[in-house]
Amino acid sequence: MADYLLQVEDLTVKFGGLTAVNRFNIAVQRGTIHALIGPNGAGKSTTFNCISRFYQPTTGRILLDGVDVTNMPASRMAGLGVARTFQNLELFGELTVFENVMIGAHVHAGKTWGDALSACPASVVDHVERLLERTGLSAYRNACARNLDFGHQKLLELARALAIRPRLLLLDEPAAGLRNREIAALDALLTDLCNREGITILLVEHVMQLVMAISHKVTVLNFGTKIAEGTPEEVRNDSSVIEAYLGQEMINA
Amino acid sequence: MSDKAAAMLSRSEASPPARWTARSNVSPARIGLLALTTAVLIFLPFVVTGYVLYIANLLLVFVVLCLGLHLVIGETGQFALAHAAFYGIGIYTSGLAGNAFGWPFPMSMLLAGLIAGAVGVVIGAVALCMRDIYLALATFAFGEALQWVFLNWDKVTGGPNGLRISPARLGTLEILSDKQAYPVVAITTLLMLLLTILISRSRLGRSFRAVRESEVAAMAMGIPVRRAKVTAFGLSAFYAGVAGSMFATFSTYIHPDSLGFQTTILVLTMVVVGGLGSIAGAVGGAVVFGLISEFLRQTPSYQEIIYGLILIVFMMYAPRGLFAFIHDKAGRVFRG
Amino acid sequence: MTLEVAFLFLQQGVASGLIIGSVYALLALAIVVIFKTSEVPNFSQGEMVMAAAYIALYLLVFRSLPLWIVMPATILLAFAGAALFRRLILNQVARANGSPVNLVIATLGLSYVLRGFVRQTGFGDTPRSFPPVIEPESILIGQASVTTLDLVILATAIIVMAAFFWMFKYTKIGRAMRAVGMNPKAAQLVGVDLTRIHMIVWGLSGAISAVAALLISPKVLMTADMGSIVTLGFAAAIVGGFTSLPGAVVGGFLIGIIENLVGLFVASRAIVLAPFLAIMLVLVIRPQGLFGGRVEIKKV
Repeated sequence: MADYLLQVEDLTVKFGGLTAVNRFNIAVQRGTIHALIGPNGAGKSTTFNCISRFYQPTTGRILLDGVDVTNMPASRMAGLGVARTFQNLELFGELTVFENVMIGAHVHAGKTWGDALSACPASVVDHVERLLERTGLSAYRNACARNLDFGHQKLLELARALAIRPRLLLLDEPAAGLRNREIAALDALLTDLCNREGITILLVEHVMQLVMAISHKVTVLNFGTKIAEGTPEEVRNDSSVIEAYLGQEMINA
Repeated sequence: MSDKAAAMLSRSEASPPARWTARSNVSPARIGLLALTTAVLIFLPFVVTGYVLYIANLLLVFVVLCLGLHLVIGETGQFALAHAAFYGIGIYTSGLAGNAFGWPFPMSMLLAGLIAGAVGVVIGAVALCMRDIYLALATFAFGEALQWVFLNWDKVTGGPNGLRISPARLGTLEILSDKQAYPVVAITTLLMLLLTILISRSRLGRSFRAVRESEVAAMAMGIPVRRAKVTAFGLSAFYAGVAGSMFATFSTYIHPDSLGFQTTILVLTMVVVGGLGSIAGAVGGAVVFGLISEFLRQTPSYQEIIYGLILIVFMMYAPRGLFAFIHDKAGRVFRG
Repeated sequence: MTLEVAFLFLQQGVASGLIIGSVYALLALAIVVIFKTSEVPNFSQGEMVMAAAYIALYLLVFRSLPLWIVMPATILLAFAGAALFRRLILNQVARANGSPVNLVIATLGLSYVLRGFVRQTGFGDTPRSFPPVIEPESILIGQASVTTLDLVILATAIIVMAAFFWMFKYTKIGRAMRAVGMNPKAAQLVGVDLTRIHMIVWGLSGAISAVAALLISPKVLMTADMGSIVTLGFAAAIVGGFTSLPGAVVGGFLIGIIENLVGLFVASRAIVLAPFLAIMLVLVIRPQGLFGGRVEIKKV
């Protein structure tokens, strides 16, 4: 019996008359890296946004560690150990790098009114500093987030998400726009997070180089329905997947 | 993670250029500024006359009003335009409590703040579903409606005839002059300033700024966006209520004329001209702009023209406010 | 109140409401057309009306020019003034790269300057009345009493609005304005000169304000603070959705009628409050206004 951290059952999302996702199921095993791929407009981001509770599914259930979170407000997901990044960067642009990550630690800074007004516990600040070091952002600690270059901004989003100390890390196209060298580094970082800290990762990604290198399992979506699932090797050789992609990236990967 | 990966992740090991560095949290300059402010406040009554102290009291009321608006607009990014209404609630609460029960002023001040804050939370809970222009207009409408209530609820507010209020008191002490009111006003201002700094540096302040910068990201970080906005709005109303009560300590007479949109706009311009988003900007804007309008009071038409020109020129050439402007220029001089 | 009296009040309220509402509709149109193309609520709209009214007064009374010169001259001056403000001042403010609210503050600055200027010239010191354009005669429509002046106001306002909508819909410049309203960047890419469109939009808004000023001035006492009438234009714009031009017109008539009915049925001093309650009611029940588009889901 596999141990699933996240289960999505029969997820259907309709926008007006358009069915973006149709009776979709996915189960993410604890401690693994699971990739969700598919051509443009396949419904990946919609699914992703349902799981992180930014969209409300029309029907279906989302279970986190066996608990139904289908009607949970998005702002409570962080407290449950679910962190996410954004496809089009959503940084706190005018704030410093340090402050961005500090806000990530929001749910660990106490709950009472007294906590709200007092300075942050040293342990939280330490954790934030360690994250900055780990992502190589320490040197930019006091820089405004919007002044960083693109690669660093992506890292900052990741560092901010990690400040939540997530059980489940949801990454929306983490490699998009990065250079090869940076993708390799991201590859190392994600593998490390999964192996050493046991963080479960679900990523939506177009860059096959990353997906094929690090994923334990890959689910392929097309036109809102699942067309294949399996190890990277299995998916790569699946004829329906090759057809869906018309051989573009799959052959290169 | 391996060191190699870390090295690869950061594109350059050199520290970022100076212009990237945002202002740090505790700088000697800031502590100096705060100390200087305190010193000026303490020594002022020994060197100036009653009239100047009256102006000082008035400016300090505007400082507190600006600090309140700073919380909701500067920190949280919500353009709420009903500040004068909450200021009015504070003035009337304090004045009426003094008239009816003769309460000691710290109590009526707290009551004024709390009632204004409570009304703020209720209005905020409704209005803050809206964004941008709609929020601004809804709160504007509320402010106008409340001014109408002040003007027409004759039995309680005295309506257009105004309301005479008895002197603020504490035990046997009665505040009868501007000079006597000054310590109360100054200490309250300092307390409110410290509270603002505290909020700004705390988890609460960070959640406000997160909401200002990106609501979706704030949500993903576990910040209940709506609640944060309502909290900021309620706090700003609390500040306005306290400011109203401060005004009541050195006034003998209340008139609803000054509790409308014009006052809200005056406070807004102070905050923007000082520098949106910075506490020093809010305080500085209140003092500088308050002084300008006081100097120009004798010639109303010139006052309006000059006032308007200042706003326009600032928006054209110093869009991030007085303090950022000075900071930039001074920086340029030092760098050569 | 008997049913008969109520019916009489209703007729009178609707008739008076339509007349004053046509002016509110013009003001709302002037506000919305600027907001739609540049996202700036123009807080100096009221003072633009006030200034136009004083220009007309000056030309008509102090220069003794005939009405057929005064009217086009006022409208032209208002067009030029507003367009220049956009070109010379707001362009620089937008370039200066501050918070979006800076543009709003700059319009507030203009409102102070205009008001101060009118006071300074001495015209604004005492309330003045604008000479009647035509001798008002009373007429009965149904049981409602209106004047010939009222009918001229209503007719002019409707003609101006019709001309405006025609221009917006069918001319090249109108199409460019709509394009800018939908997506400024895309409009620029297909060759629309943003600066020029913004100037024209402001100019038009100024011209419409001037028309409104000419229509309303004979009915009110002129002071430097008469611009506050635009508050009702704002109320109309909000009720109509703030980005919808037809909404602005409907909102204008609605606010006019509500105001008059409240005055007749409730109390005359509640008139001032009515539009604000209408704003709050509309915003709470239907935050996007009666004609505003659907609120979009933000894509993340």
